[in-house]
Amino acid sequence: MPLRNRIAYAFLAPYLLIFATFWLWPIINSFLISFQNTRVNPWRFSLTVNWGRLVADPAFYNALYNTLIILVIQVPVMIALATVMAVLLNSPLLKARPLYRFAFFAPVVVGEVAYAAVFRLMFSIDFGIINKLIGSVGLPPVSWFDNGTAAMALVIIAVTWRWAGYNAIIILAGLQSIPGDVYEAATLDRVGKVQQFFHITLPLLKPIILFCVVLSVIGTMQLFTEPFLITNRGGPGGATETLGLLLYRQGFTSLNFGYASAIAYTIAALAVAISLLNLFIGREAK
Amino acid sequence: MAGLTLTNVIKRFGAYEVVHGANLEIADGEFVVFVGPSGCGKSTLLRMIAGLEDVSEGTIEIGGIAVNDVEPSERRIAMVFQSYALYPHMTVRRNLSFGLQMNGNPKEDTERRVAHAANILQINELMDRRPGQLSGGQRQRFAIGRAIVREPQVFLFDEPLSNLDAELRVQMRVEISRLHKQLGTTMIYVTHDQTEAMTLADKIVVLRAGRIEQVGAPLELYDNPANQFVAGFVGSPKMNFLKARIEGKGASGVTVSLRADPRVKLTLPVSSAVAAGSQVMLGVRPEHFVNAGAGDTDLTVRIDVAEHLGHTSYVYATISDEPLIIERPESRHGGDSDSLTIGLSAARCFLFDAEGSRLR
Repeated sequence: MPLRNRIAYAFLAPYLLIFATFWLWPIINSFLISFQNTRVNPWRFSLTVNWGRLVADPAFYNALYNTLIILVIQVPVMIALATVMAVLLNSPLLKARPLYRFAFFAPVVVGEVAYAAVFRLMFSIDFGIINKLIGSVGLPPVSWFDNGTAAMALVIIAVTWRWAGYNAIIILAGLQSIPGDVYEAATLDRVGKVQQFFHITLPLLKPIILFCVVLSVIGTMQLFTEPFLITNRGGPGGATETLGLLLYRQGFTSLNFGYASAIAYTIAALAVAISLLNLFIGREAK
Repeated sequence: MAGLTLTNVIKRFGAYEVVHGANLEIADGEFVVFVGPSGCGKSTLLRMIAGLEDVSEGTIEIGGIAVNDVEPSERRIAMVFQSYALYPHMTVRRNLSFGLQMNGNPKEDTERRVAHAANILQINELMDRRPGQLSGGQRQRFAIGRAIVREPQVFLFDEPLSNLDAELRVQMRVEISRLHKQLGTTMIYVTHDQTEAMTLADKIVVLRAGRIEQVGAPLELYDNPANQFVAGFVGSPKMNFLKARIEGKGASGVTVSLRADPRVKLTLPVSSAVAAGSQVMLGVRPEHFVNAGAGDTDLTVRIDVAEHLGHTSYVYATISDEPLIIERPESRHGGDSDSLTIGLSAARCFLFDAEGSRLR
């Protein structure tokens, strides 16, 4: 190897060392741990103890089901909402645009614990503002934390509130990259505003929206904060337990690292698979 | 097809007025070019005709109907943009048919129109490509195709050739000219390139700083500019302007002397009232210098650079620090000596007063 390259690697060495120790090794090691029975001392190698349990574990299927339900409802709703928000933010009629842009982005900046606490208050059964509003139109109060379906809805609402603005800002950047004269040409072509949105804006935004969908899928697959902090650790009775939460319980409550590693790899594999599916469905027609 | 009438058209952006009362008559089927330096308001004027900008005051009529309050989509105009503005995600065929499809035009008629446009522009073999797979010239051809498909009353071109290289510009210029002959539709074309204006137009509208400076046929502007701005803008290379002083007025016209060389005196057939001693500009086009002794007077200039293009030569010279360009079609050796004596012919010179108005 030429001296030049050796010197370059010498400079890179500290980074590579840290990268290998804290990134590469844990990834490999956790994969290896998923084949260890970690409930005995010392740990024993076993091909099937964790993976075999995984495919038969009702708790795993419950968490997988919950996660996928949240994914299938929350991601499309949030992306649609984010697109609408981005279009509104991009409107030349809007005054004080930077203010709105910040307001939409702000939820991401707010601390998770603080936001969870506020949500718990707002959705409180007896004195939450949401139930007050529901009551004011004559509907019965909703037990947001005790009813499984309502708790799922609450998680979906919370996640959507937190990330819609973030995605809207990304989509806004995409909107602003569409040249204005394309719309002028469409206007002269007698194409109405709504048609312009569906036939010009949406197709041109497709790559950006796809990017947001993939990001959101990865995020939702790992969903942990909301069910942990807002709906009482996946409550009621596991109704909002997600894969992330199951992983946490196995790894850090039961200290069963082998099973937790198997779940972690399942989450990663599912996220990759769903993202690839998205990219495949949304690929450019050649 | 339709003519246009602009009456006292004013455009303001906030408190800032960019077009100060434009009056213009465009006949049906005419090819009109708006030309002027950047920021002169030519594109704004075009966009007002298209309806993409509101008219602050005055009226625009297309085919005898005031269109100030008519939506751009209802004005039966088609526009070709500088940046082509093709829909990037659609094939060219769909780019052409999209507008008609969205308006529920019968499928057979849409196909007929698209095929017709493709034939006119000879773009049949590229119809299933996307804009990103085409060269600049091809894209602009399709952008024109999209305009043709609309079968408009008026075509608007907003600097359509600015993004093309020099060779392609000439080629497209010829095509647009051919298109106008073939379709006979009214066309309004905006450019900052006086060559495009001269070659394409039936009528040129020269604009400066939001005002129409002169309207006329290309050669009329060349032969008979209304002021120093138009004289300098039309023609390439530009007209030379030499500082001069009025010496006196006689029966045969006004006599001026060059400031750079007061021995050079010239009597021009000008009848405007002028005061002796006042400062004026003598305008002479590079191609209108004559050989020494062949004109009404001679002047000697110092040569900086000579460019020999084969069919002609341009001599870049100065006369006591005033620059001038001289075209010498017969000479291939203009740069051999340091100085050059050439003739001026009074009949081919123009005189402008201190405000730039033509003295006739």
